Amino acid sequence: MKQIQRDGLLFELIDKLTKHGSWCGETHIQKAAYFLEEMMGVPLEFPYILYKHGPFSFDLSDELGSMRADGLLEWEIRPEPYGNTLKTTREGKRLKANVPRTLERYRPAVSFVARKFGQKGVKDLEKISTALYVTKAMRNGGCDARAREIVRLKPHIPYEEAREAVRFVDEMFLEAEPVIRRVAGEGP
Amino acid sequence: MVTKNNHEIRDPIYAFVHMDSGERLVLNSAPVQRLRHIHQLALTNLVYPGATHRRFEHSLGVMELATRIYNSVMENGCTDALDIEGDYERTYYQRVLRLAALVHDIGHAPFSHASEDLFPPGCNHETMTLRLIESEEMEKLWRKLKVQTEDVAKLALGPKHYTKEIFSNTEAILSEIITGDTFGADRMDYLLRDSHHTGVAYGRFDHYRLIETLRVLPKAYEDGSTEPALGVEGGGLQSAEALLLARYFMFSQLYFHPIRRIYDIHLKEFLCAWLDGGRFPADVTEHLDLTDNEVMSAIWRASRDPGLPGHDAAQRIVMRNHYRVLYTRNPNDVQKNREAGQAIYIAACEEFGEENVRHDRPKKSAGRVMFPVLELDGRIASSLSMSDTLQHVPEVAADTVYIHSTFLDAGREWLKENRESIIESALEREDEV
Repeated sequence: MKQIQRDGLLFELIDKLTKHGSWCGETHIQKAAYFLEEMMGVPLEFPYILYKHGPFSFDLSDELGSMRADGLLEWEIRPEPYGNTLKTTREGKRLKANVPRTLERYRPAVSFVARKFGQKGVKDLEKISTALYVTKAMRNGGCDARAREIVRLKPHIPYEEAREAVRFVDEMFLEAEPVIRRVAGEGP
Repeated sequence: MVTKNNHEIRDPIYAFVHMDSGERLVLNSAPVQRLRHIHQLALTNLVYPGATHRRFEHSLGVMELATRIYNSVMENGCTDALDIEGDYERTYYQRVLRLAALVHDIGHAPFSHASEDLFPPGCNHETMTLRLIESEEMEKLWRKLKVQTEDVAKLALGPKHYTKEIFSNTEAILSEIITGDTFGADRMDYLLRDSHHTGVAYGRFDHYRLIETLRVLPKAYEDGSTEPALGVEGGGLQSAEALLLARYFMFSQLYFHPIRRIYDIHLKEFLCAWLDGGRFPADVTEHLDLTDNEVMSAIWRASRDPGLPGHDAAQRIVMRNHYRVLYTRNPNDVQKNREAGQAIYIAACEEFGEENVRHDRPKKSAGRVMFPVLELDGRIASSLSMSDTLQHVPEVAADTVYIHSTFLDAGREWLKENRESIIESALEREDEV
């Protein structure tokens, strides 16, 4: 995927997350981008490591900084206790308009992820994204085994909540199947 | 005769750096002593003649600053979030922190960051640092000093580069004291030290005040959840602003200086021709055998002998006959085409030949300007809501095209005529999807 296409998809993700009620802080963008890549199969090609709030990409973080340097994203400061928001600027929106076919193909995936994550808090995002991370790593792992692995990796997450996160990811995979097929070029 | 256990080393920034005899064993190890022969700022001395300082004194400085930050944070209280209890643990972690700070850069190749790309695939200076920390020579020292190797490695590399395990809150905070993007001792020291040696005054800030006001504070997220992070008391906000502005100015004025950057490119060209297979060794022993001295000596010889590999790049460095700036990043161009420099580079290569044109688009970690601030009434706020200055600290970016000096005048004429059309017509199109 070319830089311009990846930029366009990130702007679309930020716009859609905002539309679905997200504060759109960096944690939200990180986790949504991770799902876009690892669950939906959108080839953004950011490498992730398991970090404080679940999978995190330093490359994506730097890219968001670079977009700010180029005037394509900007901070919107909200009063306490709300977090600060990253917004697409007019220039960012203009740049997004240059990749209509990319957006057409991947927009359903972006919308799906944004809809699922828009209202989630950081704690939920951590559990769910770690559940996906573990699910990808333990391809044949049952719900119980994956939940135990989450607790091993993140001891502050109670076992029941880990199980719930694994179930959420499994259900999300089922629900997302038609979109995933479309992203892979197999669907209508 | 009484053997002295505490030692002090004079330092131009902090007056003295203190260490005990155990720490001096690590200082005297081959990996740390090698840093006496690795320039902090590569060939920057060709532009700023004072920039001849080495990674060695920077490492000492990071150790000193990290200790001051640790002591300040522990004395300022609010450390419940840290799992450090009692004098033994407090002393142990201070020891690990100091040792990790001292060795955090031992994996650097000759000329530091300038040649980072020439490590073999999958390897970088952090990988080499880890290999050296885990090497037999260093393992012996860690055992002698009664510290765990993985503790030193974790704090020296931080969670971005030590990915074997997830960091506890305590480890995350301690590694942030060394490697943190906002208040890390590494960053603070390089700004102060590079500023001192180059004479670029923008890097100075009131680090005394800043360190006095650092605390572990809960960083809040939008759902109300929190995690411990390094933050400042309200009274330290201006010194934190000064630090982040210093970083902005130093990147604009020094680190991304276009002539400094073209010497990095010429240096890399020389190394590609001179090194076996165009790559640095990944082997620990071979790594320790190679310093700036060997490379500089080879550059000197190659500059005088057209038959030696890397002659062209070598003579550019030695004779200061670098490629000249043809194009630099312009915000208006970026609005039209984010990769304007790349477009001009490709067009210039077609016009003047690839061998006569170079392009530089350095990547830089995003600046972190968001941290918790403790207000006088005990409330905790985000730095961005407390500081208009921090809301507007720009990110630095560079995008430069260089041309052989022979073609400079022709290149400038050509660019004047074609600039707009190149930038607009070369707007990257999306691939087939």
